Amino acid sequence: MNTKKRENLAAYLFLAPALLLLGTFLVIPALMAIYYAFTDYYLLTPDQRQFIGLQNFIEIFKDPIFIQSLKNIVLFVVFVIPIQVGAALGLALLINKPRKGNIFFKVAYFSPVVLSLVVISVLWLYLLNPSEGLINSLLTNIGLEAQPFLSSPKQAMLTIVFVSAWQGAGYQMLIFLAGLQNIPASVYEAGKIDGVNKWQNFIHITLPLLKPTSVLIMITTLISAFKLIIQPMVMTQGGPMNSTITPVYYIYQSGFSDRMIGYASAMTVIFGVIIGIITLVQSRLTKEDEM
Amino acid sequence: MKKVMFLTGLLFMAIIVTACGGGNSSSGAGDNEVSLWVHTSDETPEGEAMQNIIDRFNEENEGTYSAKIEFIPRSGAGGGYEDKINAALTTDSLPDVLTLDGPNTAAYAEAGIIAPIDDYITNKDDLLPSIIQQGTYEDQLYAVGYSESGVGVFYNKQMLEEAGIDLSTLPTVEEPWDWNQFMELSETLVNTYDTAAIDMGLDDKSEWLMYAFSPFLWSQGGNIVSEDGTTAEGYFNDENSVKAFSFIQEMVKEGYTTITPVEKGFHTGEYAMKFGGSWTIAELEDYPDVEYGVMPYPTSPDTNELVSPSGSWQYAMAASTEKQEAAGALIDFMTSTESLTEITLANSVLPAAHSVVEEVQDKVSPEMNVLIQQNQKSAHARPVLPNYPQVSRVFQQTVSDVAYYEENSDVQKLLDEKTGQMEKALK
Repeated sequence: MNTKKRENLAAYLFLAPALLLLGTFLVIPALMAIYYAFTDYYLLTPDQRQFIGLQNFIEIFKDPIFIQSLKNIVLFVVFVIPIQVGAALGLALLINKPRKGNIFFKVAYFSPVVLSLVVISVLWLYLLNPSEGLINSLLTNIGLEAQPFLSSPKQAMLTIVFVSAWQGAGYQMLIFLAGLQNIPASVYEAGKIDGVNKWQNFIHITLPLLKPTSVLIMITTLISAFKLIIQPMVMTQGGPMNSTITPVYYIYQSGFSDRMIGYASAMTVIFGVIIGIITLVQSRLTKEDEM
Repeated sequence: MKKVMFLTGLLFMAIIVTACGGGNSSSGAGDNEVSLWVHTSDETPEGEAMQNIIDRFNEENEGTYSAKIEFIPRSGAGGGYEDKINAALTTDSLPDVLTLDGPNTAAYAEAGIIAPIDDYITNKDDLLPSIIQQGTYEDQLYAVGYSESGVGVFYNKQMLEEAGIDLSTLPTVEEPWDWNQFMELSETLVNTYDTAAIDMGLDDKSEWLMYAFSPFLWSQGGNIVSEDGTTAEGYFNDENSVKAFSFIQEMVKEGYTTITPVEKGFHTGEYAMKFGGSWTIAELEDYPDVEYGVMPYPTSPDTNELVSPSGSWQYAMAASTEKQEAAGALIDFMTSTESLTEITLANSVLPAAHSVVEEVQDKVSPEMNVLIQQNQKSAHARPVLPNYPQVSRVFQQTVSDVAYYEENSDVQKLLDEKTGQMEKALK
């Protein structure tokens, strides 16, 4: 009994630093946000905040910009997940084969992940510049029309999708690569004996055996895709015509530019619940698949 | 749930972290020592001038008052410094005197952060009307701008001459051109150079769109919100607004200006004209090949009244200070003709007071003098509203949206929609 108690104590001691940090920076702020969501907290008058019940929530559901931001993020997620995950898988397959110079490609594909998102965004801002950018110069050189990538309400979000997928794919590529290398060679040998071709090999052996990796990647990519803020902040400031405003960006604006902490907190609560539901549904679906 | 945690973590981590920083630096001042926070760095010409002014204040008031200046440089969008002010509010550790951006006057005054300083400022009559307008909330003076800013139309003399324009016929502050004349000039330039005539900065989706484009509305006789600041309905969507925004739309539609200007297009001879301020004059020092002049803002053909942008950072007294007299004396000292002249010349900005105009006009270029004259005659402060950030953002989006002439050919409809958004902020 005594030793067990001591073991327990030791366990809690080891947990303490992590719990303390999580508590200070995640749990307490989260609880504070939920509380503020029901108040009219205005950043400049912290002492005068009052409990206002559900008023923030009612206003949010009537707020056209918030609704627009939800539509935008759905569009972003729907496009970015297949592109990013597909690209990651493709790259992983490419560099999985032992080949000269593989290290170079591995580093090259992974390097955008290491760079700051702000740097990436500014870089693409130059590349995509409508009149002097590299991409439009290329387009006009091969006889195509220059595109208004970031200044057209129809293209802006898709451009951000492309930049984000390009930036993020390297990370998922590494995880896919680990998954690929975990597939035992014996399975492929068995396939060889049965005389499968390359395509069958991929569809019937590689893909099913990558399933656990794919589930992990889908969930993490989905969650991080919903967090989109830096690329529109730097590249379009939410425009043109609110076509790239995202929920997190709008929450940031309401909280810090408009100083409406209560309203912003209420949006974080709503948005958090939405993400929670989506994650739950997704993990349910993928679990059923596995059986 | 991870998401909630992440978001709220993000939101409040910043507050907690900065709050910790704010607490340490507050106290430690002597009985008559006034603490002053400024948003600039001590390495800028502006910061150096401020330090000199404080040194002089301490010398001249030795034995009675003294002041200590703390530099808290702000980041691009005004972060840093304003975060620190917000943190100091929650911990009750504001300095005695602080700087604040013009559009923040109403919010700070209404929240009781800054105190009226009518009684301490001795040269109120000397200050430009736009400075008084910017610092006044509910008939009381809360803050005094220490410089001014403005925008004029910069033009490339050589390019205009080559397009067959007689430079001596160009408008002056006394006789500005209206929108129609300005568009005629633009058309000539577009026909000659086959590219946009003017870079109006329409790619800048920030405060610039409010700052540079609201004067068109005022020149037309319109307004963004009602006089008492309670409603935008019937103001932002009235006939005057439609006319002003139609002018902006037409500039884009006719190809006179562009929503995607080439960077430094005026500096490199791509465009013949550009909206620019005193900072543009500084930039152009690096482009000696460009021979340029400055003409005043175009006016509404209905009124022909010249209205130009203005606005600046200001000094104000914290409402929480216990050293009102010393703090008031410091602000008065910092806004005296001598101090204002020093900072105006050091920072190459426009003067904030009539006496300072006289001091500096012989020491600056003729182009700068156009801006100074225009500012003295026609500067209009941005609206003094507690909900300025929201109002300004809706205005910015309206300018940005109206430039999409195909999607928003019905200007009235666009303005009705935006007025609704503004209404929400004004409630």
